Amino acid sequence: MDFFIQLFTDPVAFWNSHTLLIAQIGINSIIASSMFVVLYSGQLSLAAPGFIAIGAYTSVLMDIYWHTPVALNIAAGTLLAGAVGVLVGLPVLRLRGVFLAIATIGFIEALRLGVILNVPITGEGLGLKNPNPDPLGGINPVLASLAVVLFIMWRLTKGRLGAAWAAIRQDELAALSQGIHVARYKMIAFVLSAVLAGFAGGLEAHLSFSVDPSDQQYGVTRAVQILTFAVLGGSGHFLGPVVGALVVTTLPWIFQQAHDYINIVIGVFLIAVIVFRPQGIVGRGGLAVIRPAWWPRRARVSAPSPG
Amino acid sequence: MDQQLLNAIFIGSIYALFAVGYTLVFGVLDILNLAHSAVFMFGAAITYSVVVNHGQPFWVACIVGIAACALMGLVIEHVCLRPLRRRQAPPIAALISTVGLALIIVAAIEQGQLGSRFAWLWVDGPNSVAFPAGTFPNPTWHVGDLTLEASKVAIIPISIALMLVLGYVIRYTQVGRGLRAVAENPRAARLMGLDVDRMISLTLVISSALGGLAGILFGVALGDISPYIGRDNVEVRGLAVIVLGGMGSIPGAVIGGYLLGLIEVLALVVLGSSARGGVAFAALFLMLVLRPQGLFGAQLRERI
Amino acid sequence: MKGLRIVSWLVAALLLAACGSSGGGGATTNSYSGKTIKLGAILSITGAGSVYGPQSWNGAALAVKQINGAGGVSGAQIALTKNDDASDKTQSAQVAQTLIQSDQDLALLGPTLSNSAVGVHPLAETLKTPILAVSTTGIHIVPDCNYSVANPNTAPCKYVFRDSLGEATAIPANIKSYAADSHPSTGVLLVAQDDKFSSDGGKIVQDTVSTYNINLLKTIKFNKAEADLSPYVTQAVQLKPDVIFITSLGGIPAKIMTIARTQGWQGQFLGGNGFNTATVSNQAGANGKGARSASAWYIGNTFTSNAEFVSAYKAEYNKDPDQFAAQGYAAIKIIADAAKRANLTFSDLPGDRDKLRAAMETVNIQTPLGPFQFTANHDVKQTVWIIAMDGVGGFTLVHEIKQS
Repeated sequence: MDFFIQLFTDPVAFWNSHTLLIAQIGINSIIASSMFVVLYSGQLSLAAPGFIAIGAYTSVLMDIYWHTPVALNIAAGTLLAGAVGVLVGLPVLRLRGVFLAIATIGFIEALRLGVILNVPITGEGLGLKNPNPDPLGGINPVLASLAVVLFIMWRLTKGRLGAAWAAIRQDELAALSQGIHVARYKMIAFVLSAVLAGFAGGLEAHLSFSVDPSDQQYGVTRAVQILTFAVLGGSGHFLGPVVGALVVTTLPWIFQQAHDYINIVIGVFLIAVIVFRPQGIVGRGGLAVIRPAWWPRRARVSAPSPG
Repeated sequence: MDQQLLNAIFIGSIYALFAVGYTLVFGVLDILNLAHSAVFMFGAAITYSVVVNHGQPFWVACIVGIAACALMGLVIEHVCLRPLRRRQAPPIAALISTVGLALIIVAAIEQGQLGSRFAWLWVDGPNSVAFPAGTFPNPTWHVGDLTLEASKVAIIPISIALMLVLGYVIRYTQVGRGLRAVAENPRAARLMGLDVDRMISLTLVISSALGGLAGILFGVALGDISPYIGRDNVEVRGLAVIVLGGMGSIPGAVIGGYLLGLIEVLALVVLGSSARGGVAFAALFLMLVLRPQGLFGAQLRERI
Repeated sequence: MKGLRIVSWLVAALLLAACGSSGGGGATTNSYSGKTIKLGAILSITGAGSVYGPQSWNGAALAVKQINGAGGVSGAQIALTKNDDASDKTQSAQVAQTLIQSDQDLALLGPTLSNSAVGVHPLAETLKTPILAVSTTGIHIVPDCNYSVANPNTAPCKYVFRDSLGEATAIPANIKSYAADSHPSTGVLLVAQDDKFSSDGGKIVQDTVSTYNINLLKTIKFNKAEADLSPYVTQAVQLKPDVIFITSLGGIPAKIMTIARTQGWQGQFLGGNGFNTATVSNQAGANGKGARSASAWYIGNTFTSNAEFVSAYKAEYNKDPDQFAAQGYAAIKIIADAAKRANLTFSDLPGDRDKLRAAMETVNIQTPLGPFQFTANHDVKQTVWIIAMDGVGGFTLVHEIKQS
């Protein structure tokens, strides 16, 4: 309860003593945006943890060996993630649905278990120390970047690119017959997603004292967590995954009263939210409050479904 | 090398049995049931608990364990899947609800300690345990360089027999025809008077019972039962198996299971131990890129 | 300079003690009475680390109960909070920040896993808050709390202590004692490459074996989430080594032992802290009989501080304590002793944290781990117990190695 009491009675002290949590929410929100881009264009890609790892390791390695400034390191990590995104995207983007999901799981685990754990420069299982960590001051660049990312997301979903992605998501064949270059637009989404994830990875590494190849950071566990951000928050609106990231990252604090049984409470919460709001907390159209099933609804025209 | 081949076959059988339940649900519902790995663990944990904490014979415990898993199948259907179907939720929503249920099942076992609320279910908390020696007869034979353990050898006929029975049921019985009709087109099946909800419940029950049995065999053969065996050890490999064999194909899942066991052991023997983990996933990636329908997948259904 | 400071604190502490004793019924003049010493324990209560976290908590909570029941620390009550980090390093750091800056705890205990410690310890160091590791055994937890081979830390971390026996002490002690007993000539190392604890241990084994003329035939790496370790163990057994080194934890050591024995291998298992719980011995059963490790603690020790701890623990929790419970218990005793001597003001938190840190450096008390002191590096200086699994879920004592 302390968590909420302090949040409402003394927000300044709350902010100052929870910068790590808030910065993590910011980073997870950027990662959630990365997930949003691929889902919005109809691709169930779980590759984000792989790109996060590339961003994180690149920036820390550059700092260790070349002593370059942090901003440059993160930029390099972001670019490399984008480049790898192109290479991975070329072969896998013709896959759809769970097939794409599983191929991307193959990618992240091959990267983590096959490359990171076996290349001496990454420190293998021991990980690497970040020479210039800034866990307490790193929150400002994170929140500033998040604002920029959200602005870009907002513009993209309103523009031609967003319209093309939405068309592809709803019916790929129809989009193709309307003259939309499906392969190109899917590739743009995939690479943009890789870039965002790589950027978030660099930021995350900057906030940490060390990077190590654990499953919770760069493996399937993280992938499922990121998917939860997007689906729980709602993947039809760019704010959905961000709300999902906020909720999921804060869950351990929200339910800290449950003590040892916290995971049971979180599990019940996840099921309850998705059953009551199958389209996610934010839903398809925009912000909407959670509405129980017995609440009278306005008559609505059901959305046309393909096929 | 010979012993390694046996190792591959043993673990392949467990992968296959785990994956058959997984692929059955995917074939009928087009949904990845991420609670399947928790059910796998649940079967092993309940069986252990009934033997060690409640003092029942092993065979009774196996039946209790499998029954508990079958029941858990009904829970998955009624809590995680049916409410979402009623609301026309996208299939991706089922990923989250099944992840939520898996979290609950794992947490219940993990927090099951003496004096806790789940002590009746499990008392070893997060610890890894093995059946005490003598719980079941386990003679071991040494043939030349080979070591053959009854508990491992028995897995092979059990798996194959079960999969043959399942194949027969699906292909030649009334129930099987119903399942296939639902898999093909639920709306048409309903119009033809099939009780689609009942068919789906049945699918979950069969799938979960098989998952639980796979968990029990895993616990018996490998001497490792903990809340994490499903999530950590078999979940992702189960996915790999159903992809290798072709999503939704039962014979494919069986052969995929043995194939993955073989690939993993070959990677170890040929390429050395550090490369093995990466090789299995790289193979999965290549497999999907080169032959997305899997080795034996009949047709590719696309739905997100 | 540091020595001078220690001496000055010692003098102050002695003076204080003298005042207390000469004052007779000095409870009213004691600045401690009625105050609260706030401590926070960051432990893995859920997730993979929950094999250890709850035991640490039980031990620590028992010590708090005993101390408070006996009048507290010179009249001040200890308030210890239990904080779960879900075995996740990012959550662990978030919890640590909140405890230090929001709860204003005097000192912290934990975290449970080495993987989390490399994030939490440097943070506590930055925020100048004493932190006592109660279960982490990785290399360089102290004194350089954020270490890596590629870029070692030169400045020692002043606020980080540990009362758990590091693998860098335990594994060499174990190998040395077995080499002296049986003169093995070959060994194979099995290491979980994606686990920091196991990788650290593996590195120590690789660096140590040549000292005792053991030829390490092969290092076999696996991932901790392997379904079946048989292929790796088969590979190890086929090399017919005298010794198999296992540096993993959780269910892995027992699995390796069972497979190796089933395949007819007769050699010796040597391991690290991962062996030292009754659970592992129990899971391995007869297959684990004789497997040796160096432990910080042995349940069968009959010296007073341990006998009292074991019986009190059994009375409280109705089960046997393990090494992690003993270390958690010892941690509270250590901090209580330091707090008593630190002349805390209870008003100037940064000053009190500094005083506690200085007082911790001079701790010299009896604990269930034996007579306890910190080394100059803030590491534990204690007797090491070489123990062997007895094949029925327990351990027997093989050697006692006093540390000078």
